[in-house]
Amino acid sequence: MIPPPALSPSWGPASDGLDLPYWEGLRSGELRVQRCDDCSAWMPVPSWLCRACHGFDLSWLPVEAVGRVHSWIRTWRPSVAEYADRSPLITILVELASAPGVRTLGLLADDGLDVAIGQGVRGGAGHNAGPGWELLVWRTVP
Amino acid sequence: MADRPVSRAGAMRGAAAVVGVAQVHHRRSAARQGELPMTLRTIVEACTDAGIPPREIDGFVSYAGSAHSGDVLGAALGVDEVRWSSLVWGGGGGGAAAALHQAAVVIAAGEADCVVVTRAVSHDEPERLGYAGYLFPDRYRAHGIGSPAQVCALRTQRMLEHDGVPRSAMRNLVLAAYHHAQANPLAQGHGHPLTAETYDASRWIVEPFHLFDCSRESDGAVALVLVSAERARDLQHSPAYVLGGAHGAPGGYAALGESDEPYTSAGYGGHPHGSGVAQRLWAAAGLGPADVDVVQVYENFSGPAVASLIDHGLCPPGPAAATAMRLEQLVAPSGRLPLNTSGGNIADSFVHGLGLAVEAVRQVRGDSVNQVPGADVSLFIGGPMAPVVGSVLLGSASTL
Repeated sequence: MIPPPALSPSWGPASDGLDLPYWEGLRSGELRVQRCDDCSAWMPVPSWLCRACHGFDLSWLPVEAVGRVHSWIRTWRPSVAEYADRSPLITILVELASAPGVRTLGLLADDGLDVAIGQGVRGGAGHNAGPGWELLVWRTVP
Repeated sequence: MADRPVSRAGAMRGAAAVVGVAQVHHRRSAARQGELPMTLRTIVEACTDAGIPPREIDGFVSYAGSAHSGDVLGAALGVDEVRWSSLVWGGGGGGAAAALHQAAVVIAAGEADCVVVTRAVSHDEPERLGYAGYLFPDRYRAHGIGSPAQVCALRTQRMLEHDGVPRSAMRNLVLAAYHHAQANPLAQGHGHPLTAETYDASRWIVEPFHLFDCSRESDGAVALVLVSAERARDLQHSPAYVLGGAHGAPGGYAALGESDEPYTSAGYGGHPHGSGVAQRLWAAAGLGPADVDVVQVYENFSGPAVASLIDHGLCPPGPAAATAMRLEQLVAPSGRLPLNTSGGNIADSFVHGLGLAVEAVRQVRGDSVNQVPGADVSLFIGGPMAPVVGSVLLGSASTL
């Protein structure tokens, strides 16, 4: 299991409220991605309008937290204070199977793993992200 | 040297030229003065280099969130009139070459006659470090990512592991920079030769980047003065004509939360609905990769610089990069693709990459410390893997 961050973390929704449903989803162990109500295009980042059809009606839908490692890094010199004692830290970039064209960053449950591009991963609830907020923790799957 | 199909060239080809340059740099936090006084001093020195009275400057261009706008600089210099003042949007060094391009466009359009491009960094003025103000959203920071090195590392890891570009391409780019710095007494890496063994043994910052894959952090300032080609001919230095420039972002490159395609591009490549920065650069100049005599490629980190060379067609993608990026090919005077001939951001200094533009001009003038014989076409590629990227081609009179 991922040990807790060094400092009390303070991550959460942006002040403009745009990504609030993303964080609310994570708190209940659910990965949500924004989708256009009109053309069903998935939004890779929190968006005010659909980048495909320019409609302004978008909804956050739960998607299965399953995908493949698109890339990964192992950070030896932390840039985020809360992770100062978590070096080296592996961060993965997951290409989601259920929302084509959308990738999401993730932490691995076991930092000791040798990770490789193309590796299957599945995310689940369990990592403190701040007062009342949670992150998914990802595990490798065959 | 260039054999070029001129018919493809853009209307502003050769309309403007860099005629004066100046730079100063210190080790990080060693300047003991602020960005504004350093900027003003380099502008005056660049004007002296050009033989142009500073009061004749009528245009100012910068990038990376510079706080020093044309009105402030113009007032301090007592210029006759400010006719142009602009900032290239986009964080990081992506605007470095784009600023030069913009200055040339302004002159070609007749909006200003004498435009200076500036950039300064003083680490003791953190509130002014526009590029340090990268605000990674909490979605990034919560996953341990809060620095440009890490997002560039994500793209570079895939370039290596998936695309098959060999580590040697990155290593040799770094070794070439250090080799060149040994002939540059002003380089911060001067007197510190680097071997492959030392590179390989250096500590990790973030895999796949070793310490030596990362640019320096310097204090300093750089200024370049541009005028019309007509005026440039009467000045004291051989003009470095702007043969073409381009900047932009394919689709929403680097602003799509790591979801953009192709992920391993430095941002200069094409897009299903756009030709891309590199293709527009070649078209504007009426030149191609084979015409380039010397390259200054912005290395925030070595991997993105290799990706920039691939995007520009100067290096093949994938495993074939190994041959193009052999060390002997990258060093002046005899290499096929001599690059970062002053030492670059990695081994010379890092004033947000604008020192590379000065070296690109020196190669055209013929007074680099690592001069490429007969260098007529000199390419400056700005910051890679940034939200907006740009590159600019400079040339001697023989290329017009």
